[in-house]
Amino acid sequence: MSVIRVQNLSKRYGRSSGAVQAVAEASFTLDENRIHGLLGRNGAGKTTLMQLLTGQEFADHGTIEIFGENPVENARVLDRVCFIKESQRYPDDFRVHHVLSTAPRFFADWDADFADELVERFRVPVKRRMKKLSRGQLSAVGVIVGLASRAPLTFFDEPYLGLDAVARQLFYDVLLADYSEHPRTVVLSTHLIDEVSNLLEHVLVIDEGRIVIDADADELRGSAIDVVGTRTTVEAFTAGREVLHRAHLGSLATATIAGLDEAGRAEARAAGLELEPVSLQQLVVRTTGDTPGGPADRTNGGRA
Amino acid sequence: MSAVDAPTIPHATATPAARAWRIVRLLTANPATTVGWPLGILTLIFVMNWTVWWLLTRAVGPIGDGETPDGVRFNGAVSFIFVYMLVVAVQAANQSFPLALGYGSTRRAFSAGSALAFTLLALGYATLLTIGAWFEELTSGWGLHGNFFRTIYFATDAGWPAQWWIYFCWFVFFFFTGTIFAAVFVRWRATGLSTAFALLGLLVVGLLAALILSDGWAALGETLAALGPLGVASLALVPGVLAAVVGHLLLRRATPRS
Repeated sequence: MSVIRVQNLSKRYGRSSGAVQAVAEASFTLDENRIHGLLGRNGAGKTTLMQLLTGQEFADHGTIEIFGENPVENARVLDRVCFIKESQRYPDDFRVHHVLSTAPRFFADWDADFADELVERFRVPVKRRMKKLSRGQLSAVGVIVGLASRAPLTFFDEPYLGLDAVARQLFYDVLLADYSEHPRTVVLSTHLIDEVSNLLEHVLVIDEGRIVIDADADELRGSAIDVVGTRTTVEAFTAGREVLHRAHLGSLATATIAGLDEAGRAEARAAGLELEPVSLQQLVVRTTGDTPGGPADRTNGGRA
Repeated sequence: MSAVDAPTIPHATATPAARAWRIVRLLTANPATTVGWPLGILTLIFVMNWTVWWLLTRAVGPIGDGETPDGVRFNGAVSFIFVYMLVVAVQAANQSFPLALGYGSTRRAFSAGSALAFTLLALGYATLLTIGAWFEELTSGWGLHGNFFRTIYFATDAGWPAQWWIYFCWFVFFFFTGTIFAAVFVRWRATGLSTAFALLGLLVVGLLAALILSDGWAALGETLAALGPLGVASLALVPGVLAAVVGHLLLRRATPRS
Protein backbone atom coordinates (compact mmCIF):
# COMPACT_ATOMS: atom_id res chain seq x y z
CA MET A 1 0.00 0.00 0.00
CA SER A 2 1.41 3.35 -0.91
CA VAL A 3 1.03 6.32 1.38
CA ILE A 4 2.60 8.79 -1.00
CA ARG A 5 2.08 8.91 -4.74
CA VAL A 6 3.69 11.64 -6.77
CA GLN A 7 3.37 12.15 -10.49
CA ASN A 8 5.27 14.63 -12.65
CA LEU A 9 5.67 16.99 -9.75
CA SER A 10 7.43 20.27 -10.48
CA LYS A 11 8.16 23.37 -8.47
CA ARG A 12 10.14 26.36 -9.64
CA TYR A 13 11.18 29.44 -7.71
CA GLY A 14 11.76 32.80 -9.33
CA ARG A 15 11.41 33.76 -12.96
CA SER A 16 13.39 33.50 -16.20
CA SER A 17 17.16 33.69 -15.73
CA GLY A 18 17.36 33.47 -11.96
CA ALA A 19 14.84 30.69 -11.69
CA VAL A 20 15.62 27.62 -9.61
CA GLN A 21 13.98 24.34 -10.50
CA ALA A 22 13.57 23.00 -6.96
CA VAL A 23 11.63 19.90 -7.99
CA ALA A 24 11.55 18.71 -11.59
CA GLU A 25 9.11 16.15 -12.97
CA ALA A 26 9.38 13.91 -9.93
CA SER A 27 7.36 10.69 -9.91
CA PHE A 28 7.52 8.08 -7.19
CA THR A 29 5.49 6.17 -4.64
CA LEU A 30 6.37 5.48 -1.02
CA ASP A 31 4.93 2.45 0.72
CA GLU A 32 3.18 2.42 4.04
CA ASN A 33 4.99 1.52 7.26
CA ARG A 34 8.52 1.75 5.99
CA ILE A 35 11.45 4.05 6.67
CA HIS A 36 12.27 5.99 3.54
CA GLY A 37 15.45 7.96 3.09
CA LEU A 38 15.31 11.17 1.11
CA LEU A 39 18.92 11.74 0.23
CA GLY A 40 20.63 14.49 -1.66
CA ARG A 41 23.02 17.38 -1.46
CA ASN A 42 22.18 20.68 0.14
CA GLY A 43 19.86 22.59 -2.13
CA ALA A 44 18.94 19.43 -4.03
CA GLY A 45 15.25 20.02 -3.29
CA LYS A 46 14.71 17.79 -0.26
CA THR A 47 12.95 20.35 1.92
CA THR A 48 10.91 21.73 -0.98
CA LEU A 49 9.76 18.22 -1.82
CA MET A 50 8.70 17.61 1.78
CA GLN A 51 6.92 20.96 1.88
CA LEU A 52 5.04 19.97 -1.26
CA LEU A 53 4.13 16.60 0.23
CA THR A 54 2.75 18.25 3.38
CA GLY A 55 0.76 20.94 1.56
CA GLN A 56 2.98 23.72 2.86
CA GLU A 57 4.20 24.54 -0.62
CA PHE A 58 2.15 24.64 -3.79
CA ALA A 59 3.11 22.61 -6.86
CA ASP A 60 3.49 24.24 -10.26
CA HIS A 61 2.18 21.09 -11.85
CA GLY A 62 1.91 17.40 -11.20
CA THR A 63 -0.15 15.49 -8.70
CA ILE A 64 0.42 14.48 -5.11
CA GLU A 65 -1.66 11.94 -3.27
CA ILE A 66 -1.09 11.38 0.44
CA PHE A 67 -3.28 8.62 1.87
CA GLY A 68 -5.00 8.77 -1.50
CA GLU A 69 -5.88 12.47 -1.35
CA ASN A 70 -4.39 15.82 -2.26
CA PRO A 71 -2.72 17.14 0.92
CA VAL A 72 -3.23 20.85 0.24
CA GLU A 73 -5.58 22.27 2.89
CA ASN A 74 -6.85 18.76 3.48
CA ALA A 75 -7.34 18.32 7.21
CA ARG A 76 -8.07 14.61 6.87
CA VAL A 77 -4.60 14.10 5.45
CA LEU A 78 -2.74 16.70 7.49
CA ASP A 79 -4.17 15.45 10.79
CA ARG A 80 -2.01 12.38 10.24
CA VAL A 81 1.16 14.19 9.22
CA CYS A 82 4.01 15.60 11.30
CA PHE A 83 6.73 17.66 9.65
CA ILE A 84 9.11 19.59 11.88
CA LYS A 85 11.53 21.30 9.54
CA GLU A 86 15.25 21.47 10.19
CA SER A 87 14.83 25.26 10.24
CA GLN A 88 11.49 25.14 12.08
CA ARG A 89 10.42 28.50 13.52
CA TYR A 90 8.89 28.63 16.96
CA PRO A 91 7.08 31.58 18.55
CA ASP A 92 9.57 33.88 20.27
CA ASP A 93 7.86 33.54 23.63
CA PHE A 94 7.96 29.73 23.57
CA ARG A 95 9.96 27.66 25.99
CA VAL A 96 10.50 23.96 25.39
CA HIS A 97 7.58 23.03 27.65
CA HIS A 98 5.25 25.19 25.55
CA VAL A 99 6.13 23.09 22.51
CA LEU A 100 5.54 19.91 24.49
CA SER A 101 2.20 21.16 25.82
CA THR A 102 0.80 22.35 22.47
CA ALA A 103 1.97 19.49 20.25
CA PRO A 104 -0.28 16.80 21.84
CA ARG A 105 -3.36 18.77 20.78
CA PHE A 106 -2.41 18.25 17.15
CA PHE A 107 -1.57 14.55 17.21
CA ALA A 108 -4.19 11.99 18.13
CA ASP A 109 -1.58 9.33 18.89
CA TRP A 110 0.74 11.55 20.96
CA ASP A 111 2.48 9.60 23.72
CA ALA A 112 3.23 11.94 26.63
CA ASP A 113 5.23 9.39 28.62
CA PHE A 114 7.37 8.68 25.62
CA ALA A 115 7.91 12.44 25.13
CA ASP A 116 8.98 12.83 28.77
CA GLU A 117 11.34 9.91 28.47
CA LEU A 118 12.89 11.42 25.34
CA VAL A 119 13.29 14.82 26.99
CA GLU A 120 15.31 13.13 29.68
CA ARG A 121 17.36 11.00 27.34
CA PHE A 122 18.18 13.88 25.02
CA ARG A 123 18.79 16.11 28.05
CA VAL A 124 16.62 18.92 26.75
CA PRO A 125 16.15 21.81 29.21
CA VAL A 126 12.35 22.16 29.23
CA LYS A 127 12.28 25.56 30.87
CA ARG A 128 14.67 27.17 28.44
CA ARG A 129 13.45 29.54 25.73
CA MET A 130 13.44 28.00 22.27
CA LYS A 131 15.50 30.95 21.06
CA LYS A 132 18.22 30.18 23.59
CA LEU A 133 18.62 26.51 22.67
CA SER A 134 21.76 25.29 21.01
CA ARG A 135 21.48 23.92 17.49
CA GLY A 136 21.61 20.40 18.87
CA GLN A 137 18.94 21.01 21.50
CA LEU A 138 16.72 22.59 18.84
CA SER A 139 17.14 19.49 16.69
CA ALA A 140 16.38 17.32 19.71
CA VAL A 141 13.06 19.12 20.27
CA GLY A 142 12.13 18.47 16.63
CA VAL A 143 13.11 14.83 17.00
CA ILE A 144 11.07 14.47 20.21
CA VAL A 145 7.96 15.99 18.63
CA GLY A 146 8.40 13.82 15.53
CA LEU A 147 8.83 10.62 17.53
CA ALA A 148 6.23 11.23 20.26
CA SER A 149 3.63 12.41 17.72
CA ARG A 150 3.47 8.85 16.36
CA ALA A 151 1.94 10.48 13.29
CA PRO A 152 1.10 7.88 10.66
CA LEU A 153 3.31 9.88 8.28
CA THR A 154 6.28 11.52 9.96
CA PHE A 155 8.92 13.59 8.21
CA PHE A 156 12.32 14.16 9.76
CA ASP A 157 14.23 16.92 8.00
CA GLU A 158 17.96 16.56 8.66
CA PRO A 159 17.10 15.84 12.28
CA TYR A 160 20.67 15.31 13.43
CA LEU A 161 22.01 18.85 12.85
CA GLY A 162 24.09 19.91 15.82
CA LEU A 163 23.48 16.63 17.64
CA ASP A 164 26.59 14.93 18.96
CA ALA A 165 27.41 11.37 18.01
CA VAL A 166 25.75 9.97 21.14
CA ALA A 167 22.50 11.85 20.56
CA ARG A 168 22.47 10.88 16.88
CA GLN A 169 22.89 7.23 17.75
CA LEU A 170 20.16 7.62 20.36
CA PHE A 171 17.83 9.04 17.71
CA TYR A 172 18.53 6.18 15.30
CA ASP A 173 18.08 3.57 18.04
CA VAL A 174 14.88 5.08 19.42
CA LEU A 175 13.43 5.58 15.95
CA LEU A 176 14.05 1.97 15.04
CA ALA A 177 12.75 0.60 18.34
CA ASP A 178 9.63 2.76 18.39
CA TYR A 179 9.00 2.14 14.71
CA SER A 180 9.01 -1.62 15.17
CA GLU A 181 6.57 -1.27 18.04
CA HIS A 182 4.37 1.34 16.35
CA PRO A 183 4.76 0.87 12.60
CA ARG A 184 4.31 4.06 10.62
CA THR A 185 5.65 5.70 7.52
CA VAL A 186 8.79 7.69 8.10
CA VAL A 187 10.55 9.94 5.62
CA LEU A 188 14.01 10.87 6.77
CA SER A 189 15.88 13.50 4.82
CA THR A 190 19.58 13.40 5.37
CA HIS A 191 22.97 13.81 3.86
CA LEU A 192 24.72 11.73 6.53
CA ILE A 193 24.01 8.67 4.48
CA ASP A 194 26.41 6.14 5.99
CA GLU A 195 24.98 6.75 9.45
CA VAL A 196 21.44 5.92 8.47
CA SER A 197 22.01 3.43 5.69
CA ASN A 198 21.17 0.47 7.94
CA LEU A 199 17.99 2.18 9.06
CA LEU A 200 16.58 2.84 5.62
CA GLU A 201 14.37 0.39 3.80
CA HIS A 202 13.84 2.48 0.73
CA VAL A 203 15.88 5.27 -0.77
CA LEU A 204 15.04 8.27 -2.89
CA VAL A 205 17.94 10.32 -4.11
CA ILE A 206 17.17 13.78 -5.38
CA ASP A 207 19.61 15.90 -7.33
CA GLU A 208 18.85 19.33 -8.71
CA GLY A 209 15.19 18.60 -8.22
CA ARG A 210 15.25 15.30 -10.08
CA ILE A 211 14.74 11.88 -8.55
CA VAL A 212 17.87 10.06 -9.68
CA ILE A 213 17.54 6.93 -7.55
CA ASP A 214 14.31 5.35 -6.34
CA ALA A 215 15.03 1.89 -5.04
CA ASP A 216 14.98 -0.41 -2.07
CA ALA A 217 18.01 0.01 0.13
CA ASP A 218 18.93 -3.69 0.00
CA GLU A 219 18.79 -3.70 -3.74
CA LEU A 220 20.95 -0.57 -3.88
CA ARG A 221 23.58 -1.89 -1.52
CA GLY A 222 24.37 -4.71 -3.88
CA SER A 223 23.67 -2.93 -7.11
CA ALA A 224 26.85 -1.03 -7.74
CA ILE A 225 30.41 -2.16 -7.59
CA ASP A 226 33.78 -0.55 -8.14
CA VAL A 227 36.17 -2.17 -10.57
CA VAL A 228 39.77 -1.16 -10.05
CA GLY A 229 42.72 -1.82 -12.31
CA THR A 230 44.88 -0.34 -15.01
CA ARG A 231 43.26 2.31 -17.08
CA THR A 232 43.26 0.34 -20.29
CA THR A 233 41.80 -2.78 -18.66
CA VAL A 234 39.10 -0.80 -16.90
CA GLU A 235 38.20 1.01 -20.10
CA ALA A 236 38.06 -2.19 -22.04
CA PHE A 237 35.90 -3.84 -19.40
CA THR A 238 33.46 -0.97 -18.99
CA ALA A 239 32.85 -0.50 -22.70
CA GLY A 240 29.15 -1.05 -23.24
CA ARG A 241 28.30 -1.13 -19.51
CA GLU A 242 26.45 1.43 -17.45
CA VAL A 243 29.12 3.41 -15.61
CA LEU A 244 27.97 5.67 -12.79
CA HIS A 245 31.32 7.18 -12.07
CA ARG A 246 34.93 7.09 -13.22
CA ALA A 247 38.11 8.16 -11.49
CA HIS A 248 41.73 7.73 -12.43
CA LEU A 249 45.07 8.32 -10.88
CA GLY A 250 48.05 7.93 -13.20
CA SER A 251 47.69 4.62 -14.96
CA LEU A 252 45.15 3.30 -12.42
CA ALA A 253 41.45 3.72 -12.88
CA THR A 254 38.27 3.03 -10.95
CA ALA A 255 34.84 2.72 -12.45
CA THR A 256 31.57 2.34 -10.57
CA ILE A 257 29.31 0.02 -12.50
CA ALA A 258 25.62 -0.39 -11.95
CA GLY A 259 24.10 -3.83 -11.71
CA LEU A 260 27.09 -6.07 -12.39
CA ASP A 261 25.84 -9.66 -12.36
CA GLU A 262 27.82 -12.74 -11.32
CA ALA A 263 29.00 -13.44 -14.86
CA GLY A 264 30.20 -9.87 -15.14
CA ARG A 265 32.05 -10.16 -11.85
CA ALA A 266 33.76 -13.32 -12.97
CA GLU A 267 34.72 -11.65 -16.22
CA ALA A 268 36.18 -8.71 -14.31
CA ARG A 269 38.21 -10.94 -12.05
CA ALA A 270 39.48 -12.87 -15.06
CA ALA A 271 40.62 -9.59 -16.61
CA GLY A 272 42.68 -8.92 -13.49
CA LEU A 273 40.41 -6.26 -12.08
CA GLU A 274 39.72 -5.88 -8.39
CA LEU A 275 36.14 -5.59 -7.21
CA GLU A 276 35.16 -3.40 -4.29
CA PRO A 277 31.74 -2.89 -2.76
CA VAL A 278 30.21 0.55 -2.95
CA SER A 279 28.52 1.94 0.13
CA LEU A 280 25.19 3.70 -0.14
CA GLN A 281 26.91 6.98 0.55
CA GLN A 282 29.51 6.45 -2.17
CA LEU A 283 26.78 5.47 -4.57
CA VAL A 284 24.86 8.65 -3.85
CA VAL A 285 28.00 10.75 -4.10
CA ARG A 286 28.81 9.23 -7.45
CA THR A 287 25.31 9.64 -8.77
CA THR A 288 24.95 13.23 -7.71
CA GLY A 289 28.55 14.47 -7.74
CA ASP A 290 29.55 16.65 -10.65
CA THR A 291 33.31 16.36 -10.96
CA PRO A 292 34.19 13.63 -13.43
CA GLY A 293 37.79 13.00 -12.39
CA GLY A 294 37.60 12.80 -8.64
CA PRO A 295 35.46 12.42 -5.61
CA ALA A 296 32.69 14.93 -5.35
CA ASP A 297 31.86 14.48 -1.73
CA ARG A 298 29.95 17.60 -1.08
CA THR A 299 27.02 15.91 0.50
CA ASN A 300 28.70 16.25 3.84
CA GLY A 301 29.38 19.91 3.36
CA GLY A 302 27.03 20.82 6.16
CA ARG A 303 24.86 23.85 6.31
CA ALA A 304 26.04 26.88 8.20
CA MET B 1 -4.44 6.80 -11.27
CA SER B 2 -6.64 5.12 -8.77
CA ALA B 3 -6.43 5.35 -5.03
CA VAL B 4 -7.75 1.88 -4.58
CA ASP B 5 -4.71 0.48 -2.85
CA ALA B 6 -4.06 3.61 -0.79
CA PRO B 7 -4.68 3.22 2.93
CA THR B 8 -8.03 4.64 3.81
CA ILE B 9 -8.21 7.51 6.22
CA PRO B 10 -9.81 6.47 9.49
CA HIS B 11 -12.95 8.19 10.62
CA ALA B 12 -11.45 9.49 13.85
CA THR B 13 -10.32 12.85 12.54
CA ALA B 14 -10.85 16.02 14.53
CA THR B 15 -13.86 18.26 14.01
CA PRO B 16 -13.33 21.73 12.49
CA ALA B 17 -14.07 23.24 15.90
CA ALA B 18 -11.40 21.09 17.55
CA ARG B 19 -8.93 22.10 14.86
CA ALA B 20 -9.63 25.77 15.48
CA TRP B 21 -9.40 25.32 19.24
CA ARG B 22 -5.90 23.82 18.93
CA ILE B 23 -4.81 27.05 17.31
CA VAL B 24 -6.38 29.09 20.12
CA ARG B 25 -4.35 27.06 22.59
CA LEU B 26 -1.23 27.41 20.46
CA LEU B 27 -1.57 31.21 20.33
CA THR B 28 -2.21 31.45 24.05
CA ALA B 29 0.26 28.77 25.13
CA ASN B 30 2.29 31.37 26.96
CA PRO B 31 -0.30 33.52 28.76
CA ALA B 32 2.42 35.96 29.78
CA THR B 33 2.33 37.33 26.23
CA THR B 34 -1.41 37.71 25.83
CA VAL B 35 -2.42 38.49 29.41
CA GLY B 36 0.43 38.92 31.87
CA TRP B 37 2.54 41.54 30.17
CA PRO B 38 -0.26 43.76 28.82
CA LEU B 39 -2.03 43.85 32.19
CA GLY B 40 1.23 44.47 34.01
CA ILE B 41 2.17 47.34 31.76
CA LEU B 42 -1.35 48.77 31.91
CA THR B 43 -1.21 48.71 35.72
CA LEU B 44 2.13 50.45 35.68
CA ILE B 45 0.81 53.15 33.33
CA PHE B 46 -2.22 53.57 35.57
CA VAL B 47 -0.08 54.02 38.67
CA MET B 48 2.05 56.62 36.91
CA ASN B 49 -1.05 58.46 35.68
CA TRP B 50 -2.63 58.43 39.10
CA THR B 51 0.59 59.79 40.59
CA VAL B 52 0.61 62.63 38.05
CA TRP B 53 -3.05 63.49 38.84
CA TRP B 54 -2.23 63.47 42.52
CA LEU B 55 0.77 65.76 41.98
CA LEU B 56 -1.38 68.07 39.83
CA THR B 57 -4.04 68.18 42.51
CA ARG B 58 -1.44 69.04 45.10
CA ALA B 59 0.05 71.75 42.93
CA VAL B 60 -2.96 73.51 41.36
CA GLY B 61 -5.90 72.26 43.34
CA PRO B 62 -8.56 69.73 42.40
CA ILE B 63 -8.89 68.95 38.70
CA GLY B 64 -12.40 68.59 37.42
CA ASP B 65 -13.33 72.10 38.55
CA GLY B 66 -13.37 75.42 36.72
CA GLU B 67 -11.56 75.06 33.40
CA THR B 68 -11.71 71.27 33.38
CA PRO B 69 -15.19 70.43 34.58
CA ASP B 70 -14.98 66.87 33.25
CA GLY B 71 -11.51 66.29 34.59
CA VAL B 72 -8.61 65.42 32.31
CA ARG B 73 -10.28 63.67 29.42
CA PHE B 74 -7.33 63.46 27.08
CA ASN B 75 -5.20 60.54 27.99
CA GLY B 76 -3.63 58.11 25.57
CA ALA B 77 -2.59 55.63 28.23
CA VAL B 78 -5.25 53.01 27.65
CA SER B 79 -4.57 53.15 23.91
CA PHE B 80 -1.36 51.28 24.66
CA ILE B 81 -3.26 48.05 25.09
CA PHE B 82 -4.85 48.35 21.65
CA VAL B 83 -1.50 48.84 19.95
CA TYR B 84 -0.05 46.01 22.02
CA MET B 85 -2.78 43.68 20.77
CA LEU B 86 -1.99 44.67 17.20
CA VAL B 87 1.58 43.55 17.85
CA VAL B 88 0.33 40.33 19.48
CA ALA B 89 -1.65 39.61 16.33
CA VAL B 90 1.34 40.31 14.07
CA GLN B 91 3.59 38.03 16.12
CA ALA B 92 0.99 35.29 16.32
CA ALA B 93 0.46 35.01 12.62
CA ASN B 94 4.10 35.43 11.77
CA GLN B 95 5.60 33.11 14.37
CA SER B 96 2.90 30.56 15.10
CA PHE B 97 1.83 29.96 11.50
CA PRO B 98 4.96 27.96 10.54
CA LEU B 99 4.69 25.82 13.67
CA ALA B 100 0.97 25.22 13.19
CA LEU B 101 1.59 23.97 9.65
CA GLY B 102 4.43 21.76 10.89
CA TYR B 103 1.96 20.27 13.38
CA GLY B 104 -0.31 19.45 10.45
CA SER B 105 -2.80 22.29 10.70
CA THR B 106 -4.51 23.64 7.60
CA ARG B 107 -4.32 27.35 6.83
CA ARG B 108 -8.09 27.45 7.12
CA ALA B 109 -7.95 26.08 10.65
CA PHE B 110 -5.19 28.54 11.49
CA SER B 111 -7.25 31.51 10.28
CA ALA B 112 -10.36 30.27 12.05
CA GLY B 113 -8.42 29.55 15.23
CA SER B 114 -6.64 32.87 15.32
CA ALA B 115 -9.90 34.72 14.60
CA LEU B 116 -11.47 32.83 17.50
CA ALA B 117 -8.53 33.55 19.79
CA PHE B 118 -8.55 37.25 18.96
CA THR B 119 -12.32 37.51 19.37
CA LEU B 120 -12.11 35.83 22.77
CA LEU B 121 -9.29 38.12 23.82
CA ALA B 122 -11.29 41.12 22.55
CA LEU B 123 -14.30 39.96 24.60
CA GLY B 124 -12.16 39.59 27.70
CA TYR B 125 -10.30 42.85 27.39
CA ALA B 126 -13.44 44.81 26.49
CA THR B 127 -15.06 43.45 29.66
CA LEU B 128 -12.01 44.31 31.71
CA LEU B 129 -11.86 47.87 30.40
CA THR B 130 -15.60 48.30 30.94
CA ILE B 131 -15.22 47.23 34.56
CA GLY B 132 -12.35 49.72 34.83
CA ALA B 133 -14.55 52.45 33.35
CA TRP B 134 -17.41 51.56 35.71
CA PHE B 135 -15.10 51.69 38.70
CA GLU B 136 -13.68 54.95 37.44
CA GLU B 137 -17.12 56.50 37.43
CA LEU B 138 -17.99 54.99 40.80
CA THR B 139 -14.92 56.54 42.41
CA SER B 140 -15.31 59.89 40.60
CA GLY B 141 -12.15 59.35 38.63
CA TRP B 142 -10.17 57.38 41.18
CA GLY B 143 -10.77 60.06 43.77
CA LEU B 144 -9.01 62.66 41.67
CA HIS B 145 -11.35 63.32 38.72
CA GLY B 146 -8.90 61.52 36.49
CA ASN B 147 -9.99 59.70 33.35
CA PHE B 148 -8.01 56.62 32.53
CA PHE B 149 -10.59 54.35 30.90
CA ARG B 150 -13.26 56.88 30.00
CA THR B 151 -11.07 59.05 27.81
CA ILE B 152 -12.76 61.23 25.24
CA TYR B 153 -12.30 58.83 22.30
CA PHE B 154 -13.78 55.84 24.12
CA ALA B 155 -16.30 57.18 26.63
CA THR B 156 -20.01 57.10 25.96
CA ASP B 157 -23.05 58.03 27.98
CA ALA B 158 -25.16 55.45 26.19
CA GLY B 159 -24.83 52.89 28.97
CA TRP B 160 -22.41 50.15 29.94
CA PRO B 161 -23.27 47.73 27.11
CA ALA B 162 -22.49 50.55 24.66
CA GLN B 163 -19.26 51.26 26.54
CA TRP B 164 -18.32 47.61 26.29
CA TRP B 165 -19.18 47.56 22.57
CA ILE B 166 -16.86 50.50 21.89
CA TYR B 167 -13.91 48.73 23.48
CA PHE B 168 -14.77 45.47 21.77
CA CYS B 169 -14.96 47.04 18.32
CA TRP B 170 -11.60 48.72 18.73
CA PHE B 171 -9.97 45.48 19.90
CA VAL B 172 -11.36 43.67 16.88
CA PHE B 173 -10.08 46.46 14.66
CA PHE B 174 -6.56 46.35 16.07
CA PHE B 175 -6.27 42.55 16.21
CA PHE B 176 -7.32 42.02 12.64
CA THR B 177 -5.41 44.96 11.24
CA GLY B 178 -2.42 43.21 12.80
CA THR B 179 -3.20 39.93 11.08
CA ILE B 180 -3.34 41.51 7.67
CA PHE B 181 0.16 42.97 7.97
CA ALA B 182 1.43 39.70 9.40
CA ALA B 183 -0.11 37.80 6.50
CA VAL B 184 1.56 40.13 4.03
CA PHE B 185 4.87 39.52 5.80
CA VAL B 186 4.43 35.74 5.95
CA ARG B 187 3.64 35.64 2.27
CA TRP B 188 6.01 38.20 0.75
CA ARG B 189 8.47 38.92 3.57
CA ALA B 190 10.00 42.38 3.97
CA THR B 191 9.47 43.36 0.34
CA GLY B 192 5.75 42.76 0.68
CA LEU B 193 5.54 44.66 3.92
CA SER B 194 7.42 47.67 2.52
CA THR B 195 5.15 47.66 -0.50
CA ALA B 196 2.07 47.38 1.70
CA PHE B 197 3.19 50.33 3.83
CA ALA B 198 4.04 52.34 0.72
CA LEU B 199 0.54 51.66 -0.66
CA LEU B 200 -1.02 52.50 2.68
CA GLY B 201 0.99 55.74 2.75
CA LEU B 202 -0.20 56.62 -0.73
CA LEU B 203 -3.76 55.90 0.26
CA VAL B 204 -3.53 58.12 3.33
CA VAL B 205 -1.90 60.94 1.36
CA GLY B 206 -4.55 60.52 -1.31
CA LEU B 207 -7.34 60.76 1.24
CA LEU B 208 -5.73 63.79 2.84
CA ALA B 209 -5.38 65.41 -0.57
CA ALA B 210 -9.01 64.66 -1.36
CA LEU B 211 -10.05 66.15 1.96
CA ILE B 212 -7.98 69.28 1.47
CA LEU B 213 -8.98 69.80 -2.14
CA SER B 214 -12.64 69.35 -1.39
CA ASP B 215 -12.48 71.37 1.81
CA GLY B 216 -13.78 68.26 3.48
CA TRP B 217 -12.14 68.73 6.85
CA ALA B 218 -15.09 70.42 8.42
CA ALA B 219 -17.44 67.83 6.99
CA LEU B 220 -15.24 65.02 8.32
CA GLY B 221 -15.08 66.63 11.73
CA GLU B 222 -18.83 67.03 11.80
CA THR B 223 -19.38 63.47 10.69
CA LEU B 224 -17.08 62.10 13.37
CA ALA B 225 -18.68 64.31 16.00
CA ALA B 226 -22.12 63.21 14.87
CA LEU B 227 -21.09 59.56 14.98
CA GLY B 228 -19.58 59.94 18.42
CA PRO B 229 -17.29 57.34 19.99
CA LEU B 230 -20.01 54.71 19.63
CA GLY B 231 -20.54 55.34 15.93
CA VAL B 232 -16.86 55.57 15.11
CA ALA B 233 -16.07 52.34 16.99
CA SER B 234 -18.92 50.50 15.28
CA LEU B 235 -17.61 51.76 11.97
CA ALA B 236 -14.11 50.46 12.84
CA LEU B 237 -15.63 46.99 12.94
CA VAL B 238 -16.06 47.14 9.16
CA PRO B 239 -12.34 47.44 8.28
CA GLY B 240 -11.64 44.98 11.13
CA VAL B 241 -13.81 42.25 9.64
CA LEU B 242 -12.56 43.09 6.16
CA ALA B 243 -8.96 42.71 7.38
CA ALA B 244 -9.81 39.30 8.84
CA VAL B 245 -11.12 38.13 5.47
CA VAL B 246 -8.23 39.60 3.46
CA GLY B 247 -5.75 38.22 6.01
CA HIS B 248 -7.10 34.72 5.45
CA LEU B 249 -7.10 35.11 1.67
CA LEU B 250 -3.41 36.09 1.85
CA LEU B 251 -2.49 33.22 4.18
CA ARG B 252 -4.35 30.75 2.01
CA ARG B 253 -1.51 30.77 -0.50
CA ALA B 254 1.31 31.44 1.96
CA THR B 255 4.20 29.07 2.59
CA PRO B 256 6.14 29.17 5.84
CA ARG B 257 9.72 30.18 5.18
CA SER B 258 12.62 30.09 7.51
